[in-house]
Amino acid sequence: MSEAQLYEELANAVYAGDDAKAVELSRKSLDAGIDPLKAINEGLMKGMSRVGDDFSQLKIYLPEVMLAAEAMKAALAVLEPEALKRGRASVKSKVVIATITGDIHDIGKNIVAMLMRANGFEVYDLGRDVPIDELIKKAEEVKADFICASTLLSTSMPYMEDLIALLKERGIREKYIVMVGGGPVTREWAASIGADGYGDDADEAVKVAKDLLLRRGAQ
Amino acid sequence: MTSIWEVIDRTETGNYMEETDFDLKIVAKKCRELVKEYDIRYDPRQIITSDDSLADDVFEAGLRLALESGIYCIDTKRVVRFDEYELKEGIISAPRRLLIGQNKDSRILYARGIEDDRPPIICGGQAGAAIPEEWYLPMAISYMKEPLVDMINNGGLAVVEGRKVRTKTPLEIQATRRELSMLREAARRAGRPGISFIAAESSVSAMGDLAIASERYMRRTDSHLVALLNELKTDFDRISKVVNFYEYGAHNVTLVDPIIGGYAGGPEGVAVCFVASFLLGRAMYGSDFHVCHPIHFRYMSTSAPECMWNLNIVGQAMARNAPFIIMGDVWTSAGAGSEMIFYETAANTITNVVTGSHPLGVSATNGKYPHATGLETRFMAEVAHAAVRTRLTRKSANAIVVELAKRYADKQGKPEVGKPFPELYDTAKVIPKPEWYSTYLKMKKEISEITGLRL
Repeated sequence: MSEAQLYEELANAVYAGDDAKAVELSRKSLDAGIDPLKAINEGLMKGMSRVGDDFSQLKIYLPEVMLAAEAMKAALAVLEPEALKRGRASVKSKVVIATITGDIHDIGKNIVAMLMRANGFEVYDLGRDVPIDELIKKAEEVKADFICASTLLSTSMPYMEDLIALLKERGIREKYIVMVGGGPVTREWAASIGADGYGDDADEAVKVAKDLLLRRGAQ
Repeated sequence: MTSIWEVIDRTETGNYMEETDFDLKIVAKKCRELVKEYDIRYDPRQIITSDDSLADDVFEAGLRLALESGIYCIDTKRVVRFDEYELKEGIISAPRRLLIGQNKDSRILYARGIEDDRPPIICGGQAGAAIPEEWYLPMAISYMKEPLVDMINNGGLAVVEGRKVRTKTPLEIQATRRELSMLREAARRAGRPGISFIAAESSVSAMGDLAIASERYMRRTDSHLVALLNELKTDFDRISKVVNFYEYGAHNVTLVDPIIGGYAGGPEGVAVCFVASFLLGRAMYGSDFHVCHPIHFRYMSTSAPECMWNLNIVGQAMARNAPFIIMGDVWTSAGAGSEMIFYETAANTITNVVTGSHPLGVSATNGKYPHATGLETRFMAEVAHAAVRTRLTRKSANAIVVELAKRYADKQGKPEVGKPFPELYDTAKVIPKPEWYSTYLKMKKEISEITGLRL
């Protein structure tokens, strides 16, 4: 199998959510002396990128995205340690995400988390009905770049304001890019509470996150 | 019917399962398998289908899903299952006719059939939205003063007496009581003191709900929504709402809103999931009627073609096999004040009334902005009545709906969000401002010409 074919097969295994195949091909690529970072970028990431594109067009659905993310995770467990050893590991941006206090609707947040993973972010998904101090605690612990909060309830939106207020109170607001979203959340409201980013849908959330990261890097 | 005591017992004794396993190994897997086995296919050219066997297949697949999946209780991580006898008992015992409201404002809410020529019950309001307290009263009156509106489902309050309401705090009680107080006052002022409500929208946990089980707030001829969580899940907050109304005697209503693109898959899997949700909602919550609300993963709106196909096929599947009383949501991407909202409302409403559900709306901008008024709900009612008067068949309705959808489908990503209520209505007199009224007249004429309906 040529190097190009191996990348293609890796991408296909991720797309199909076939974790056993993705792991097998990852090992094969290491045995063949292929740069693990290249296998990640040219194989796994391309597969996940196709997953993201097809999900956006409703050609595939959330379960397929979740299975693909699992396959990618399994393959990364093989490739990343080797890349680290060679000093070739890429630094991923870290995202801490949750459905905020009082709200148990998590499917929208799950979709954003999956698409962020598909786009190369390292995502810590804390689940639903998560108190703001837990979000901050996790962000501090993993040295996150982003704190993302979601809600479907207008009565949980004030907790997003509280999140930003608490970050300011603790003097750590500037450490994080804060993004908010969810059914009742609007672009105008996100701006009014001082959030850095907002997405009308999961696709936009990922685009905005990438833009914000670029802007931060440029500063 | 399975008693609520038995339901509570099963939340403690059902099979233990991790939630992700329920999502992927039960719901996602079974929906996919059943869609394949029954060869259920969505065709965007047939938003309203005339194939009875397709409706029956969707029903049978949904019944099997209900039997094989059950409902997952998030708090205990246990699966509550019902056997075939219990589900069928739920079907047989489900009300076909229900008295809602009081005195001159009472109505008979009934299980609609396919191509039913009886006038539908019109449920008006911007359901699901957070409405500013200062406009709540005139906005509610704007719906109630519409003679064609039979019952009300308006939004909740996110701010009460200047204080932002946070979930599961004492303010949730205050907001829910204030919502009901203002709805009662609006009903009196509109001369409809007995009009029936679907209300307590401010109660997102069980707290607010528990605080309004009193004739002063919620009457026994009123209803509240109890959601099934996505997909086929519930929790103790939802079950507490059910228990509260069981004892109190007002109506439990299952709100079912599966996501197209979510765990159930595409439009076909969601249709199967809908049927299972209605059957399980009846068995678990003892619901007297049900709200059908397909969600498009990107646009949210029920007016998206895939969502209307779901309203169509689920309505028909239930009407033919388990005639529950179903209200179909009319949630538009566009807001009041725009022209786009009229196309969406017309397409969504025609779909509902021809295929077995009563229209509930218009929830403009999907409830994101309080850009809604009684006028677009008047239009929804006029379209619903005209479709029935004209005795639209499924075939002719499909041609109309496909044509209307072309006018807005590519705008749903960036809809015309319109304007807030006070910019469109004289809030003192509660009448539409001239500009908004002109838009209504213009669009009514245009849609009458497109559809052939005498509006």
